[in-house]
Amino acid sequence: MKLFQRTIRDLHQMLLDREISSVELTESVLGHIDAVGEKTKAYLLVTRELALRQAKAADDRLRARRDVKPLTGIPIALKDVLCVKDVVSTAGSKILKGFTPPYSATVVDRLESEGAVFLGKTNCDEFAMGSSNENSGYWPVHNPWGLDRVPGGSSGGSAAAVASGEAIAALGSDTGGSIRQPAALTGTVGMKPTYGRVSRYGLIAFASSLDQIGPMTRDVVDAALLLQSIAGHDPRDSTSSTRPVPDYLATLRKGVKGMRLGVPKEYFVTGMEPAVEQAINDAIRLLEQQGAKIEEVSLPHSDVALPAYYIIAPAEASSNLARYDGVRYGHQAPGAKNLIEEYMLTRQQGFGAEVKRRIMLGTYALSSGYYDAYYLQAQKVRTLIIEDFKRAFEKVDALLGATSPTVAFPLGAKTQDPVAMYLNDIITIPANLGNVCGISVPCGLADGLPIGLQVIAPGFREETALQVAYAFEAAADFRKLQSPLMRAA
Amino acid sequence: MPEPESELSSREVEHVARLARLGITEDEVIRYRDQLRHILTAIDALKRADTSTVPATAHPLEERNVMRDDRSEPCLTAEEALKNAPSREDSYFKVKAIQE
Repeated sequence: MKLFQRTIRDLHQMLLDREISSVELTESVLGHIDAVGEKTKAYLLVTRELALRQAKAADDRLRARRDVKPLTGIPIALKDVLCVKDVVSTAGSKILKGFTPPYSATVVDRLESEGAVFLGKTNCDEFAMGSSNENSGYWPVHNPWGLDRVPGGSSGGSAAAVASGEAIAALGSDTGGSIRQPAALTGTVGMKPTYGRVSRYGLIAFASSLDQIGPMTRDVVDAALLLQSIAGHDPRDSTSSTRPVPDYLATLRKGVKGMRLGVPKEYFVTGMEPAVEQAINDAIRLLEQQGAKIEEVSLPHSDVALPAYYIIAPAEASSNLARYDGVRYGHQAPGAKNLIEEYMLTRQQGFGAEVKRRIMLGTYALSSGYYDAYYLQAQKVRTLIIEDFKRAFEKVDALLGATSPTVAFPLGAKTQDPVAMYLNDIITIPANLGNVCGISVPCGLADGLPIGLQVIAPGFREETALQVAYAFEAAADFRKLQSPLMRAA
Repeated sequence: MPEPESELSSREVEHVARLARLGITEDEVIRYRDQLRHILTAIDALKRADTSTVPATAHPLEERNVMRDDRSEPCLTAEEALKNAPSREDSYFKVKAIQE
């Protein structure tokens, strides 16, 4: 087994035992990026020198046995929406081409202080708006399980990097499914923590009441390890929670015996592929065999979650993206006659089609005369979604369903139809609106393409979601599945 | 107050783009009008939910009125804050005249 194919936990032990150095490990991953990077196009920027410098520093730390943490010396990829001081960070947008942030995101600082190694910035849909990574302002990403397929989105580059062996783990961000859906489509594990669990400071904003950073990994243990290091209160993000962070590894292996797991009947949506439905039913049965008590539950407002999301998220985005005006950073259109024209041209030239569509949709929903019918109604529906989850979690400990109704679809299949594209997130969006946490874990293949099981737990019960996901992973043993690009090496 | 309807007009698209300070071409006006109509039709399902007695949720926070002590802390230097500026003069961002 090559070093780049391994997990954080294995590599940590090997680093501790001085069996390998972080420089060797980092070179192994960088070498694989050289080998397959042109196939996946997962990275927008590979920070080779920075990675090797950090790896050397990590080796010093490991040699001295000074302050060694689980991520010391581990090569990690960062979604391009995360600011890294003096490293080009564009959120996948041309409007931020060449932008070098003057500070790092808190999650980046935390990984850095643990001694992690930064491989680079991963491709994503522009400003995290999309479900296929085809909205990147630079180039699309190809799924390591089938290069003619999308990797999902918006954290498609992070997912493809972990699935192909171009990173040991990665960070993504999830506003409506952008960690979980690409994780499902690439056979990796991806977790959206509860809003407030992880600081958003230095995350380039899409929809500020929904955005959350989370881990994308090879298995559930690694997800727990990575979440552990990024979770917790940050004085720089007033929306980050002061609740203490539990020890996620302590409860991970407790199993599901006696746990009550709910299956929302609404999550078996119209248009779900039969192979996906079959795999989810098999997964549910497997958890039942492990001793969980399975109950059907209802989340009656699931059908209006998607419409509510496509008002709330664009409305917040239209406000957040007002900052890209060509004055303080980013692209500035040349030759404008006056300030207003400069704004108009800068934004026309800098933003891609989907971002413009959402800015207009959001501006429309917030505009005079439409606010009550759209934005206010969507916020009320959000309350109904929250109440749905509260009622369900009075009866069960966690919920089970598919992450995505389909496996990875061909590149270009949905680019002409925004509504068809939006439907990809139909079972991931409720967790963002309902302020709960969710994780996607591989649960099988259909025609060689991965399927993801979604486990949803109440707000700030990440340990519960991880515990169920781990129990499934351990019993099902899909963990050994590797993408052709990872295997080929 | 006009009733929201899915038949968005080209004029409304132009108006919204102007509000958003987004330059769009004539072709784009037509394309975005048609796409936004399609999206708004899908979103109309929102009206199905009975929300007559439901309060709105703007954010999911438990914390309220988060304050910190009023003391100065290190911050970016002017040079750091200006390093990405497309146009600058001395330690200022330079913008075009607002009035001609």
